[in-house]
Order: sequence, then structure tokens, then C-alpha cells
Amino acid sequence: MPRPLRWILGLVVAAGLLLGGALLIPFGDWLPGGTVANVPNQEVVNGTAFNRLFPAPVAGEQLVFSQEKRGFSEARLRRGGELVALLAISDTTTAPEAREKFGSSQNAVAGWPLVEQGSQASALLVGGRFQVKVIGQGDGLDLQARHELLESFDLTALARLRPSLSPVSARKAPATPAPAAIGSAPALAS
Amino acid sequence: MGRTVLERLDRLPRRDLTVLALKGLSTLVPGGWTNITNADQLIQDVIGDTDPALVARIRARADQLSRARAEGYGRALSLYDAVNRSQHAAGGLRVLANLSAGLPLLKRLADVTPPGDTLQAVDLSLKVGSELLAFTQVNGLPGDSFGDFGAALADYAGEARVRMAALICFDALLPLGDQALQKLDSLLGAANRKDLNRLPAYRQMAGLIPGRSDDAHLSFLRRGVDQWLGWAGGFVGELGLTAQGTVQAVESTLGPWQGRMDQFAAFLDAFTDTYAHTGVQAVARRLVERAAAEV
Repeated sequence: MPRPLRWILGLVVAAGLLLGGALLIPFGDWLPGGTVANVPNQEVVNGTAFNRLFPAPVAGEQLVFSQEKRGFSEARLRRGGELVALLAISDTTTAPEAREKFGSSQNAVAGWPLVEQGSQASALLVGGRFQVKVIGQGDGLDLQARHELLESFDLTALARLRPSLSPVSARKAPATPAPAAIGSAPALAS
Repeated sequence: MGRTVLERLDRLPRRDLTVLALKGLSTLVPGGWTNITNADQLIQDVIGDTDPALVARIRARADQLSRARAEGYGRALSLYDAVNRSQHAAGGLRVLANLSAGLPLLKRLADVTPPGDTLQAVDLSLKVGSELLAFTQVNGLPGDSFGDFGAALADYAGEARVRMAALICFDALLPLGDQALQKLDSLLGAANRKDLNRLPAYRQMAGLIPGRSDDAHLSFLRRGVDQWLGWAGGFVGELGLTAQGTVQAVESTLGPWQGRMDQFAAFLDAFTDTYAHTGVQAVARRLVERAAAEV
């Protein structure tokens, strides 16, 4: 290949790459990856697992789920159409600093450490990992009402949650059932 | 990329054509509208407290969340920006065509610019479609059933009432008339790939809409609009929104308008950013709610 042609080819390739890169700039946000605090998704419990642990609405109340992401689920509690509180469960794996405030906690609800944040937010750390929070909205909620709401979450089930294994690691995991149990359907299903 | 959601919120205009148009429109919507352009104020509003240390921590968490691409807050804003650019371009062309129609030499320009209704309908469906895409980026798929998802969507739309009113009034009622919502389905049925490709935003959004061809995209947009029409019809009936009422409401802040309604719509499209402005505010609120729950 003659030398000038090689130069031209090189320049064309370089220009093409530059142009391609420039065209992709507006789509930068849509590239995959970029998780919170760079924690891999597999290590964070999916928000779907939290949904069924929210308190069941009593008569005159509506619970409307508003956000669901990896490690986070949030719902709005309405009474007669009026927004009363934001209820949320989050996995503190992506926010370890959120756990620190519970270290000096003196109070507890259902045995888990409790912290008040400002005048409208109460937070509970369940199983050393999951933060349950109630934030009063509109006219606000008093301390008592917020603690009752916190208690009505399914806290025992929440404390037992673990991130679901990704398909790859599930295959790698050794078979857990004891030899005697192999063949019995319930043991395999568990 | 670049600026976080809350930085963009802090940079929103406090008083310009966009804000005045929205202020005027909000007189039609009970509950009104406050132009929140201050991130700290928004955080205090959400947590009902003014503790500066707590506000700073929530803000830091919100910035961290909005920098994480996978969380979708930045993606939603890039969608709104794409739609906004397209709206400016299309609106500018229509204004130019209106101006030049009176000048003999430039008359041809008026013939070149795409006419009205079908294109307007496709533009509206693109906005509704991007609204659905942005919703799933910001909120995920909340709840365990389709019913939960529908409730979340209605709840979101109910909170962003002025935003939805702007979408309905400025992009449907003004350019297409009071029967816009009833006409929309047949207009979209008449739309073809050429109409779709004439919209600048479509070329940017095409990769994000489910489906691999223009026709698949068009049918996705039609289904999205069908979902939205039911809700929007109820909204219009409940508030009694009309094109004439919209003009009067916006005249109360922008001053009198002497021209046709579709010209007014073109003017608003070309010179205001209502869609992106309220979009940033809506995304910022959801982001702050999450950050407040996570710190």
C-alpha cells in the first residue's frame, strides 16, 4: 500500500472515530452500567422484594407505590385522597454512611434501632441492613403515628431478606440439601 | 451528563416567557403551581424540616443517585431535552412560515413547511410516548401488578397536574381544537413513516422506543397515546379545559394575543420550554423523595 494512501486511510479512520464519538455524546446517559456508588447490582436486593412487606392499608387509606428500583421501594400513603406520608424501604448496601446514625440510637421499635431525622422523618434499621423510613407529608404526622406505621411493616420477613443470586452464581452454588433430602420435592424447592 | 438533576433545577429561570405561560395556565388548575427553582427549598418541602446538615446530606445523596446512569434520572432529562429541541425546531419553522406567507418572495417557504394536523398529532404522541418512557426511567415499574402500575401512573399525573395541563392545552387543544382528543386516534391512524421522520426528536429517540422499525414505533406510540387518552379525557372534562379558555388564561400573564390559535400554539412551541421546565421539576421531586428516604 503506498504511503500517502496509508496516511489518508489513517486520517479517515481517526476522523470517523471522532465523529462517531461526538454523535454518541447526547446518548451518554443511555450507556449501560453506572450503578449507585458502583456497587454491583447483584449485591443489592431488588425493590420488588420489598413491595409485599409494606403495611396493608386500612379502610379509608390508599397505598400507591411510586418508585421501585434496585435496593429501593417507595409508596405514598393517602387518607381520603390527601397525601399523609411517604413510606420507603431501602437497602443500605449502596449507602453505608446511612447506617452510622443508628450507632448512637437509644430508642427501638419492635426491637430494631430507631432514629428521628428532623421533625417529620423516623427511620428504623432492620437486620443491620435495611432502612425503613416514614416521612410525614402535608400537615404531618406525630411521633406516635409514625412509629405505629413503622411497626406495621412486615419487619421479621424484611430482616430475613437476602439478595437473590444471579443466574451465574446460582449455578455455581453447591447443592445444599442433605443427601437424605434429595428427591423430596419440598427440599429441592427451598 | 454533566449537570446533575438538582443543579439543573437550581438553574431554571425564575421569570421568563416559559414561567409566565405556565403561571397563566395554572389559573385553570385547582391547587395552582409554584415555580420551584431552588433545590434546598424542595428538599425542605419534602422532609418538612430545615435542618441544614440533613438538607446537605440529602442533597449529596441525590447528586450521587443522579450521577448513577442505571438509576435513570439523567436519562429522563435527556429525553425531555430531545423533545424540547424538536419542539423549538418545529415551532420555529411554523412561525417563520406564518411570517413569510405575507411576503411574495418567501411564499414558497410556507408551502415547504409541513402542514398541521397530522404532524401535530405525531408530535403530541411523541411527547406522550417520551413521558411514559421517562416515567419508567424515573420510577421503575412500581408495584407488583399492572393495576399497581396504572395507579402509580395516575398518581404521578395527578401530582404533575400543571405539567399535564400544559401538554394537553399547548400541544393538543390549541393546535388541534377542542375536539383534539377525540380526533387524535384517527389522525395518528393517518400518519405514516414520513410524518414521523419529519420530527427532529424522533431521530434522537428512535433507538429508545421499543420495536425495530418506524412502523413498530408508530404502533407503540399509538398504544401509549390510547392509554393516556382515557386519563386525559377525564382530566379535560373535570377541569373544563378548552382552547379558548387556554388562550384567555395565558393572556392574563403574557398579554393580549391577536391571531389564530394555531399561530399561538406555534409561538408557544418556538419560544417556551414548558415541557422541559416542568419535567426537571417533576424528576427532581421524585429524586429528592428517594434521597430523603435513603440517607
